[in-house]
Amino acid sequence: MIRAHIMPLTVLLPLVGAYFILLVGSKHRSLARNVALVTTGATFAMVCFITYLVSNQGTLFYHLGGWAPPLGIELQADPITAFLLLTFAGVSFFVILFAYDILPDEINSKVITRYYALYLVLLGALLGIVLSNDFFNMYVFLEISSIAAAALVAVNGDKLAMEASIKYLVMSTLGSGTVLMGIAGLYMVTGYLNLDYLAGALPQAYASYPLTVLMTLAMLTVGIAVKAALFPLHVWLPDAHGSAPTSSSAILSGLVVKVYIAVLLKLLYRVFPLDFLTTLPLQGSLLVMATLGIFIGSIMAIRQKDIKKMLAYSTVAQIGYVFLGIGLFSEKAMTGAILHVFNHAVMKSMLFLSVGLLIKYSGKRTIADLAGLGRVYPIPMIAFSVGALSMVGIPPLSGFISKWYLGLGALEANHLPFLLVLLLSSLLNGFYYMPIVIAGFFKKETVEIQTHKVPMGAQISLIVLIGATFFFGLFSNIVVDFLAPTVQGLFEVFGGGI
Amino acid sequence: MRDIIVQVVARMMIPYLQLYGLYIILFGHNSPGGGFAGGTVIASSLILYVLAFGIDDEDLRLSGSVARVIESCGALAYVGIGLAGIFLGANFLSNKGAGFPLGIPGRFLSGGTIVLLTISIGLKVASTMITLFTNLAEKEKEEE
Repeated sequence: MIRAHIMPLTVLLPLVGAYFILLVGSKHRSLARNVALVTTGATFAMVCFITYLVSNQGTLFYHLGGWAPPLGIELQADPITAFLLLTFAGVSFFVILFAYDILPDEINSKVITRYYALYLVLLGALLGIVLSNDFFNMYVFLEISSIAAAALVAVNGDKLAMEASIKYLVMSTLGSGTVLMGIAGLYMVTGYLNLDYLAGALPQAYASYPLTVLMTLAMLTVGIAVKAALFPLHVWLPDAHGSAPTSSSAILSGLVVKVYIAVLLKLLYRVFPLDFLTTLPLQGSLLVMATLGIFIGSIMAIRQKDIKKMLAYSTVAQIGYVFLGIGLFSEKAMTGAILHVFNHAVMKSMLFLSVGLLIKYSGKRTIADLAGLGRVYPIPMIAFSVGALSMVGIPPLSGFISKWYLGLGALEANHLPFLLVLLLSSLLNGFYYMPIVIAGFFKKETVEIQTHKVPMGAQISLIVLIGATFFFGLFSNIVVDFLAPTVQGLFEVFGGGI
Repeated sequence: MRDIIVQVVARMMIPYLQLYGLYIILFGHNSPGGGFAGGTVIASSLILYVLAFGIDDEDLRLSGSVARVIESCGALAYVGIGLAGIFLGANFLSNKGAGFPLGIPGRFLSGGTIVLLTISIGLKVASTMITLFTNLAEKEKEEE
C-alpha cells in the first residue's frame, strides 16, 4: 500500500507530524523534539524508498483523488526530483539530529514546540514543491515555505532577527506575487497548469501571444530569482541567514534557497523549449548575474567580521555557481548545477552547524575569536575545515566535483571565460575560509575557552555530513550515472522548437 | 472601551453571524461558499465578541489553547479523510473512486467526502483566525 502511495504520503508525513506536535507538544515539551526526530527520520527513509523505486521503475506519477491531469493534481518523481528530495529530507534529518540537545538552549522554551512544528511544515512544503507537477500546487507550497522560513528566522523575537525576517518576508512575498502573475499568464494563454501539458501547448500559445509568453517567462524567472537570492536580488539573504538560530540558518541556507532552483529547473527545462530559450537574452543575463553574484558574494564575504554573515554571503556566491550551471545550457553544466545544489546543501549546513556550536561554546561571533578553538572542540572545527576545503574545491571533496562539472560544462558550451570565473572565485573562497581554518587549529586562543561536552547527536550528525562530503567527492559517478539519462533527456526532448 | 450600544448590537448579531457561517460551510458543496469563507465568518463573530466585551471576559470567548487544539484537529481531520481514500483502495483524497456515496446532486447529503472536507477546513480556518487574533491581543496586553 505504501509503495503505491509513497509520494503523497511523503509530503503528508511532515505536515501531520507538525500538527501532531502542536496538538500534544504544549503539554509534553520533551515529546516535540522526539516527534520531530522520528518524523524527519521516517521522511528520509520514505524518500530513500522513492529513490529506490525511481531507479528501478523510472519516473513515477501519482494522481491525487484518482483524477488524471490536466484536471487533476499530479505528483511526479524522476531521477532529478528524487535526488533533490534525498537532499532535502536527508539534510533536514541531520539538522534535527544535530539540534536534538542544542535547540532547547537556543530557542525560547515558550516557542520551541512551534519551532519544531514550523520546521516540519517547511520540510513538507519543500518536498511538495519538488514533487508537484503543476504550477499552482508548486505556488501554494512556495507560499507555505516562505512563510515558514520567515517565521523560523524570527522565532526568538530578538530585534535583529525580527528586522531581517520582515525584510525576508517582504522580498519573498514580492517574489511569490511575481511568480503567481507569471503562472496566471501561462494559464491564460494555454489553459493548463500541468507542466507536461503546458510544454505541449506552449508553441501554439507563443504563436498567438508572443508578448504574453515572454512576459510570463520574465516574471517567473525574476520571481524565482528573488526567492533564490540571485545577485542583485539577494539583499535579504545575509541578514536573514546571519541572524537566524543555528538550525534555521543551516536549513535556510542549505535547502530553502535551493528549492526555488528546483522550480527554475522545471520551468526552464521542462516547460520552455531550449531552442526557444536560446533565442532570448535570458542566457546572457543569467550568466552575467551569476558571475557578478559569485564575485560580489565572495568579496562581501571577505569583508565580514561576523562569521555567520560571512557564511551567508558565501551562500550568495554559491547560488551564483548554480545559476551559472543552469544558464550555460549544456548537459555537463546542468549536472554540475544539480550536484552543486546537493553538495552546497551538505557543506553549508555543516558549516552553519559547526559554527553555531563554536559560537555557542565560545560566546563570540567574530572570526578573530575562533582562534584556537580547534584544539578544544576538534569535531566541530574539523567539520568546519572539511566544509571550507570543499567550498574552495579541494579535489577529494564533493565541492570539487560540482566545480569540475561546471568547468566541463563551460568548455562544452564554448564559454571559456567562465573557466576563469571558476578559478578566480575558488581563489576568493580560499581567501575567506582558509584563515579561519588555520587560526582555528594553529593560533593561540584569544579568549579563555571553557570546555563543554559536545552532545552525541551533534557529533553523529557532523560526522555523517563530513562523511557525505568525502563520499560524494570520491564516488560522484554513482550520482552522475543516476542523473545522466534524465539530464540528457532534458536536452533531447525539445527538438521541435517554437 | 465598553460601549453599551456595541455590546447590545453585538449580542444580537453574533448568533446570526455564526448561523450564516455554518450555512456557508455546510452548503459549500452545493452552492458558493465552503470551508474557508464560512470559517472566516464564524471567526469574525467570535472576534466581534472579544472586541465588544473585552479579552478578559472568559465566559463565552474561545480561549487560545482550545483554538489551537481545534486548529490541529481540523488539519489532521482533512488528512485523515484523504487517507481514508487510500485505505479504501483508491488514491489519496479519492471520493467516488474510493466508494463514498455521492447522493443526489443538489441535496444536502451529497458529494461524498466533500462536505466532511469543508467542515474540517471550516474548523481549521475559524480557529486559526481566532488564534491569530488572540495572539496579537494577548501580546499587546503583555506589553502594557
